[in-house]
Amino acid sequence: MTETPAPFGPGYTLVITGAPYTSQAPATALAFCQALLDTGHRCDRVFLYGDGVYLASALNTPPSDEPDWTAQWQALVRAHTIPAIACIASCLRRGLLDEQEATRYQKAGANLAGGFDIAGLGEWVEAQTASDRVIYFHGGH
Amino acid sequence: MVIDRAPYGDLHGREALDMAFSLAAFDRPVALLFRGEGVNWLRPEQDGDAIGQKTVSRNLGAAKMFGVAEIYADSTALERFGLNGTTPEATPVHPDARFYEQFQQVVQP
Repeated sequence: MTETPAPFGPGYTLVITGAPYTSQAPATALAFCQALLDTGHRCDRVFLYGDGVYLASALNTPPSDEPDWTAQWQALVRAHTIPAIACIASCLRRGLLDEQEATRYQKAGANLAGGFDIAGLGEWVEAQTASDRVIYFHGGH
Repeated sequence: MVIDRAPYGDLHGREALDMAFSLAAFDRPVALLFRGEGVNWLRPEQDGDAIGQKTVSRNLGAAKMFGVAEIYADSTALERFGLNGTTPEATPVHPDARFYEQFQQVVQP
């Protein structure tokens, strides 16, 4: 019996805690997420925590012959309407701001890339029950 | 949650603790395990002021308030860092495979 991909198979939350370019975490998570979708699984949400929030910077400007992980993630979450959440506490410490936070803290500009939202750890806590699996992608030591 | 890095050098432990406290705040079960260099979180008489940082043991002191009752420390690491018998807030354990089996999900930021 061949197994057909179930359109509403197990749902996953992916937690990325490693930054792009200094760790492989966002790249590995991207390949994993693509594989999930290709095989009929659900990706319920992506949660960026710690250094992982650097992925959501609209100011990341890699050389044109190197992968743009922010753009690739943006394209994927938009194409599949996957909520991509960056932890607010991690973001503020590391200079990742949306318009609202930039105004609140009177900063010169906002730099949160489109397709990403800023929210609290409650989103991650909710994922523990809302998703069948929560998978972590860490940076190296 | 597993904390295995020394305090103060980076944010990993602080942010792991935030995760643990969030779970507890939403009444989710959570246990903390300090291992490797992470056991230095439990070192007595810390004073972060000297390096312009918050004292992490004080952060950890909030665990009870948030309802994080289970705090463990790897006994081998305690021994290695000379912390045997000086960490009343943590239960010394030998974290082998059987220990991890007690927990459905282990998060190691």
